[in-house]
Order: sequence, then C-alpha cells, then structure tokens
Amino acid sequence: MPFKRFTQANPLLTLGLIVAAWLLLPTALKTLARASFFELTAPVTLAASRVRDLQDFWALRARSRTELIEAGRDLARVNASFELAVQQNGELRAEVARLEELLRLPPLRDHRLEHARVARRDFSGWWQRIVIRKGRDHGIPAGAPVVFSGGVVGRVAEVHATTAVVELISSPTMRLAGVVEGDTRPISFQGGVNPTLAPPRGVVELMPLDIIANPAAPKRLVTAGFGGVFPPGLTLGTIVRADLASDGLFKSGEVELDPRLGTLTEVSVLVPVAPPPAPVRPAP
Amino acid sequence: MRRVIILLLTQVLLWALLAELNHGLSGWQVHVFGGALFVVYPALHLGRGEGLLVAGWAGLLCDAHAPVPFGTHGLLFTAAHLLLFRARERVPRNDPVSQILVVLFTNLALFLGLSLLRLPAAPAPGGAWGRLLPDLLASQLTLAVVAVWFLALQDRLVRLGDAWAELRGHRG
Repeated sequence: MPFKRFTQANPLLTLGLIVAAWLLLPTALKTLARASFFELTAPVTLAASRVRDLQDFWALRARSRTELIEAGRDLARVNASFELAVQQNGELRAEVARLEELLRLPPLRDHRLEHARVARRDFSGWWQRIVIRKGRDHGIPAGAPVVFSGGVVGRVAEVHATTAVVELISSPTMRLAGVVEGDTRPISFQGGVNPTLAPPRGVVELMPLDIIANPAAPKRLVTAGFGGVFPPGLTLGTIVRADLASDGLFKSGEVELDPRLGTLTEVSVLVPVAPPPAPVRPAP
Repeated sequence: MRRVIILLLTQVLLWALLAELNHGLSGWQVHVFGGALFVVYPALHLGRGEGLLVAGWAGLLCDAHAPVPFGTHGLLFTAAHLLLFRARERVPRNDPVSQILVVLFTNLALFLGLSLLRLPAAPAPGGAWGRLLPDLLASQLTLAVVAVWFLALQDRLVRLGDAWAELRGHRG
C-alpha cells in the first residue's frame, strides 16, 4: 500500500526508476526479448501476407481467358529474350573464369538468388524496412544484399527463423558506396528524406567536382562493389541534382530512387556462395 | 490478470491492423503512427500496475519491429501511461469527444518524442519535418476516426470477460 501511494505521488520518479532498471538490464536479455517479441508476432505477419496472396489469386481468377492468353504470349517473348541473355551470360562467365586463371586473379564473389515474397512494408519518415517471407531456415544471412528488377532494394538487417527484415536503400540510416556509371571514383550514398506522394530519394556526398548532373542530364548511380557486400554495377538510382558542397572540395546531390520500391511484392536475396576449393597442383 | 490478457490480445490486433494499413500506404510514402491507442484505455480504466504492464508490453511489441534501441517505445508508452494515469480523474473517461482529444494529444506527444529521438540519424534533420508533418497529420486524422471504435472494442471485451468470470463464479 505505501508503494502505491509513492508511485501515485511521484509518477516521474517512478518513470526514472523504470528507466534505471531498464538500463541496468543485461543486453543479452534485451536481445532475447526483442527476438521473442518478433517471433511471437511473425505468424500474424505471415498470415496477413498469405491472405493478401489469396486475394490476388482470386482477383486473377476473375480475369478472362483472352487476357491470360495475351499475358502468356507476352511472357513467351520475354522468356525468349532472357534465354538468349542466359546463353550470353554463360559465355561471359567462362571468359571471366579463363581471364582469372590466366592473370591469377582471385575469383569474384559468387551469389545464388533466393527469391522471397514481401510480407510487410513499413515506410515511415524514421525508417524504411520490409519483412520478407524467408529467413534463417532458408539460409538467408544477415547483411546480404537484396535486389529486384529495378536494382538494389537494400540489405538484410535482421534474420529470424522464417522471416528476415530488409533495410531499404531509401532508409535515412542506410549508407553505401556507389559510382557514377562509367566512372570509377567512389561516392557516398545515403538514404534520404522521402517526401509524401513522391518517389523515394537519397543523397550523395563526396562527389568529384567534374561530374555534372541535373534533371535534364541525370547520371545513373550504381554500386561500387567495395567492401564485398554488394556486387558492382547494380542500379541504386539516378542523380538528378549535384551542387557544390559547403567544403568546396566535393559536390553533394540528390538521388531519385525507383518508385517501385514503395510497392515491392517480391525481391531476391543475393546469398554468398562459398568459392570452390582451389585445385591442388601436383608437386613437381 | 484476465483484463490484462484481454487487452494484450487487443494490442496485437491493433498492431496487426496498423501494420496492414501502413503496408497499403507505403506506395504513397505515408505512415500512420497509432501509439496512443496502445496507451489510453489501460491508463484511463485499469489499475496502475495492470496498466503499466499493458502499456509496457505494447511498447516492447512495437520495439521488436522497429530499428530503435529495444525499450524506446516501451519507455515512451510507460511515461505516457504514468502521466495519463495521474490526470485521469480530471478527464471525463466515457465521453467520446474527451476520449478522442486524449488520444490525439497523447499521440502528438509520442510522435514528437519518437521523432526527436530518431532525427539525429537523418541526413538532413531539418528537412525531415517535411515528411514527418504529413505523417503526423495522417496519423491524427486516422486516430480521430478509429479511436472511439477501438476504445469501445476494448471496453466491450473487458466487460464480456468480467461477465464471463462472474458467471463462472456463480456456477462454481
């Protein structure tokens, strides 16, 4: 009873005591609690996502046969062009392997694609994240790059049993190295303020002075491939504005990201593949 | 404890509904924050300990899905609960207009609190308000529409739980 009177009289002191107790709690316990709360609600997220898929399925069932035939014909054309691209890709890979062997270069890091449905999108002014329907059980590692047909989506931030959280490149806390297409000098990219009713945006810093970009002549920004996380050459966005930075040594600018980032339904995780063991050469 | 469990289940329902709403709104870059709905009913109608438990639990639920230090929402919700609990004798608790006003003011405070904690991470903290203000407006409009329904739902479920317990008591 006296404790009740104390808490009623001193709500701020009560809050202070709760804060102090929370700060003293071991980090391991907090991490365990976070993971437990996430896993507790994961079935809710997955169920909602499956219901949405079912809705889409029934909506598609309502389409006429003529529409389906037209879609099938278009898909066949796309498949034909992709088959050609796969053949060219195979030849190029063989060429790269031959050059690597000739020049004794370390092999490029290889990835396998793990496709995943998007279970939830969470795009606030504070963070931009998606939850995908694959996780530890499917071999998704933390930090793996995530891509879609328009380029880079982001990076796997958290991995859980059947889900993973991806931090988007539009998130204000996301930073990575990029280069302007056709250039080799690295530029710092950071997710930006994403205005309402407009495509997501990012910012670039440390841009060389001779690179000129404006809405009339935008520049394509791609991943630099430094750090070994993102393969080089993946599209990040388009630099639509570049102005002299306050230090006068570099330029800073604005990057327009793919508007489809806000409506993603399926993405691919680039899971690193361990390189095959080097062949053992017999001793002379 | 029965009331706490009923309210915890309604918190999960609210969290799922908000998540679905934000999923649908993501294409327009709009986000609805409904933190106040997790806090107001427990603060206005439950005992201090029970209310603290529900508010703290809801905060940790939100924390698990946000890239913030674990406990940020929990402490914000707990603070809001303690302040509302202290002021609840002066608020007409069953009047819908008062309920909406309490929800809106609490949500405003929680939104600003969370924004101030997150802004240092933004590339242009000043420019971030250009996005946060429309989000705040959307949140307040949504809560003004759904607050009375959600508080009534919580109230009805708690009463049903009480009635069921009473019935069991009579039979026993």
